Amino acid sequence: MKRQLTITTEPIDEVALLAQRAMSSGMGAVVYFLGVVRGTEGTANISALEYEAFQRMAEHQINLLYDEMAKRWLVESVRLVHRVGLVKTGEPSLWIEVVGRHRGEAFAACQWLIDELKRVAPIWKTPVAGES
Amino acid sequence: MRVTVCFYSYFRDLTGCTATSEELPEGSTLDSLFQRLVARFPRLAEMQKATLMAVGVEYQNRSYVLREGDEVSLFPPVQGG
Repeated sequence: MKRQLTITTEPIDEVALLAQRAMSSGMGAVVYFLGVVRGTEGTANISALEYEAFQRMAEHQINLLYDEMAKRWLVESVRLVHRVGLVKTGEPSLWIEVVGRHRGEAFAACQWLIDELKRVAPIWKTPVAGES
Repeated sequence: MRVTVCFYSYFRDLTGCTATSEELPEGSTLDSLFQRLVARFPRLAEMQKATLMAVGVEYQNRSYVLREGDEVSLFPPVQGG
């Protein structure tokens, strides 16, 4: 399974990521997920989220997830970009793409990876107050 | 033995620092380290049950036996995505 992982303060460039997609002829499914910062946190309006990561550990833990993913599903490739630092409302904070043979395994693997990322990757977010 | 301890997220506010070190007897566990840290930084006590601990880049439970030079990290539940 090919794997890419980027934790960056730079904005997520979806167009560039999609242009870099590579898949072999045996693959029939691409699932990708974009997580976007909402304008509310609970009942409060926010203008941004400030993300902080323990980057070395986050990279290690996500690579462990990739190892587990490769055992569970026949996935050809996975790419994940997580933004850190200040991410404004409406901007993406997370981009994940899974390429597999069929939609079932690609959807399942992508969903699992997001859920596990939220459980084990040492990344935190702090809301930045917006206009009330 | 001496271990270093790093704090992440709002644990930095609870302790007022990003990192510290602690001198411990041989055979000390993560739990005994945490209790010493609570004595130094009492506001950590309110997060007693929710604290996650890592040594290096691996999660460890509180019975983990520390070794000289270990890099310990303490942080609240994670919230990526």
